Amino acid sequence: MTATDLNPTRRSSVLRMAGGGIHFDGVKAVDGVTIEVRSGEVLGLIGPNGSGKTSTLNLLSGMLKASAGSISIDDQDITRLSMRQRARRGVVRTFQSGRVFGRLTVWENVEAAALGGGLRRPAARALTAEIIEELGLEPVAHDLAQQLTAGRVRTAAIARALATGPRFLLLDEPAAGQNESEAVELITAIRGFAQRRDCGVLLVEHDMSVVMGTCDRLHVLDSGRTVVEGEPATVRSDPRVIEIYFGKRH
Amino acid sequence: MKNQNRLVAAVSTPAILIGLVLVVALIGAYGDVTTARVATLALVSVVFVVGLSVFSGNSGVMSFGHVAFMAAGAYTTAYLTIPVPLKKSLFSDLPGWLSWLADVHTSFPVALLAGAVVAGVVGLVTAPVVARLSGLQSGIATLAMLMVTYNVLNSWTEVTRGSSSMIGIPRGTTAWWAFAVAALAVVVAWGYRCSRGGLQLRASREDFWAAEAAGIAVGRHRAIAWVISAMLCGVAGALYAGYLTSFNVNGFFLAATFSFVVMIVLGGYLSLSGAVVGALAVSALQEVLRRFQDGQFTGGSALPAGVADLIVAGVLLVVLVKAPYGLMGVRELRLPGSRRRAAEPAPEAEREPAHAG
Ligand SMILES: Nc1ncnc2c1ncn2[C@@H]1O[C@H](COP(=O)(O)OP(=O)(O)OP(=O)(O)O)[C@@H](O)[C@H]1O
Ligand SMILES: [Mg+2]
Repeated sequence: MTATDLNPTRRSSVLRMAGGGIHFDGVKAVDGVTIEVRSGEVLGLIGPNGSGKTSTLNLLSGMLKASAGSISIDDQDITRLSMRQRARRGVVRTFQSGRVFGRLTVWENVEAAALGGGLRRPAARALTAEIIEELGLEPVAHDLAQQLTAGRVRTAAIARALATGPRFLLLDEPAAGQNESEAVELITAIRGFAQRRDCGVLLVEHDMSVVMGTCDRLHVLDSGRTVVEGEPATVRSDPRVIEIYFGKRH
Repeated sequence: MKNQNRLVAAVSTPAILIGLVLVVALIGAYGDVTTARVATLALVSVVFVVGLSVFSGNSGVMSFGHVAFMAAGAYTTAYLTIPVPLKKSLFSDLPGWLSWLADVHTSFPVALLAGAVVAGVVGLVTAPVVARLSGLQSGIATLAMLMVTYNVLNSWTEVTRGSSSMIGIPRGTTAWWAFAVAALAVVVAWGYRCSRGGLQLRASREDFWAAEAAGIAVGRHRAIAWVISAMLCGVAGALYAGYLTSFNVNGFFLAATFSFVVMIVLGGYLSLSGAVVGALAVSALQEVLRRFQDGQFTGGSALPAGVADLIVAGVLLVVLVKAPYGLMGVRELRLPGSRRRAAEPAPEAEREPAHAG
C-alpha cells in the first residue's frame, strides 16, 4: 500500500533517468544507470563509498549535466532543465553536507525555500510555521543556522527541502553520522512527511541495515553501475550484493 | 501581542538608523561651516553606502562599480539644474541630437528623481551581466564598468566637459534634504531586505547552489537588487552635485570607490546597520585625520599628504583581521526589547566564512 492509493485525487508520477551517465576525466562516476522514483514510495539508493550515489542524485536534480541518457518526469523530458527549473517542477534535493543558509535563521531558511518554490508571502509563512512545527524546530526557529548542532542542521535541511514543495525528494545521506536506531527513526519520520505530501523519495544511504526496514525498494550501485534493484528482501539476498556489499565488511 | 512584537522588531532597526542619521543632520544644520559640510557629506555617503549594501549586503557580491551610478546622478543633476544661459556657454559644442539638453531646466527635487532614474537605467542595462557573475568575475566586471564610465566621462568633452570641472550647479542640497534622502534610503533598503526577493537573495548569498536547489531565481533577484541599488547611488550623486555645486570626473573614480568600500567593509557589509555606521564612522575618521594631517592637533606642523589615507587603510586592515565581517557582523542595531535571538552575536561561528561543501 502506498500513499498514492490513499490519495486518489493526485495522479501518481515517476521521475526517471534512462541510461544516465557522467564521467570526470576518464572516471565513469555513473555509467548507464536507469533509475525510477515513483510518487508515494521510498527508494533506497545504496552502494559503497565512491559508487556514484551522489553523482546519480546530481544528475537527477540537474546539478550535473548528464553526458549520456535522459531524465524525465512522466512523459516530460527535463534533461535540459537547470537545477532551479527542476526544483520548480518538484524535483528537490538535499546535500550530503547540509548546506543550510548559515547566517539566516532556521525560519528564514525554510521561508526562503517556500518562496523559491513559488509561494506568495502569506502562504510561505503558513507553510514555514507548519513545517517547523512538524519537524520540531520551534526551539531553534530564530537561531542562525550556523549555530545549530549537526543533528538540527540535518533536520533544517530536510525542512527546507519540504518547503520547496517537492513531488520528488532526493535526500543525500540524511542520516549520516547517526547510529542505526537514530537513522531508522529519522528515515521513518521522513517517510511520514513524504507520504503526507504524496511525494516520492530517493534516499541515499550507505548502511544496508538502515534501509532494509524503511525503504519500499532498493537500488544498488557499484562503480557507477546498477548491480540490482528490487524489494529489500530480494536485494539483500542477491549474491552480487552480498559479494560487493557485505563481502567487504565481514 | 506576538504580532506587536514582530512589528516592533521590524521597525526598530530602521528607526534607530534614522535616529542616528537625524543626529548627524542636526549637526549639519546647526554646526559651524566646516562641521556642517562634513556632516552633510557624511549623509550623502550614508545614502551611497546604503544603496551599495542593497546589492552587496543581500547578494554577498562586492561591487567596485557603483560610483558610476553616483556619477550618473551627479551629471544628470548638473544638466537639469545649471541655469540655462550658463549651460549654453559651458556646452556650446553639444552634438545636434543632444542640443535639447541645453534648454531643459528643472527644480532640484526633480533633478534628484531624475538622477535616480538615469542611474536606474544604467543599472538596467548592466544588470544582465551582473546577474550571471559571482566572486572574482563580478569584482572585475564591476571594476570594468567603472573604467568604462570614467573613460566616457573623461573623453566625451563636448557633453561632459571631460577633465574640466562641472561648475555652476545651484546649491540644492541642505542638511535636511540629505537627511530626508538618507532616511528614505534606509527605509527602502530595509524594506527590500525583508521582502520576499530580499530574503531569497540573502539565501543565495549564503549558498548559491543550495538556493538554486530551493528553486530560487538567484540571477533575477540579483538583477532587481542591482537596479534598486543603482537608483539609490544615483540619488547620492545628485545630492553630492547639489551640495558641492561643482565637481570633477576624478571624484567618481578609484579614490571614491576605495573610500566607500572602506565604509561598507568596516561597518559590516552583511548588515544595513553596518552600512550606516560604517559610512558615518569613516566620514568622521577621515575628517579627524584630515585635521590631524593639516596640523590642527600638532600645533600647526602639517604631516605629509597621504598620511590620513594610510591610516584609514591601516584601520581597515586591522578591522578585517579582527572582525572579517566588520563592526556589525550579521547583527543589526535593535531596541533592547525587540532583540531576537538571531540578532545576538555568534562568537564561534562568526569567525568562519559560510561553509559550502
Ligand atoms: N566533481 C568531481 N570531480 C571528479 N571526480 C568526481 C567528482 N564527483 C565525484 N567524482 C568521482 O566519482 C565517483 C563517484 O562519486 P560519488 O560522490 O557519486 O560517490 P558516492 O557513492 O556518493 O560516495 P560517498 O558514499 O562517499 O558519498 C568517485 O570516484 C568520485 O571520486
Ligand atoms: Mg555521496
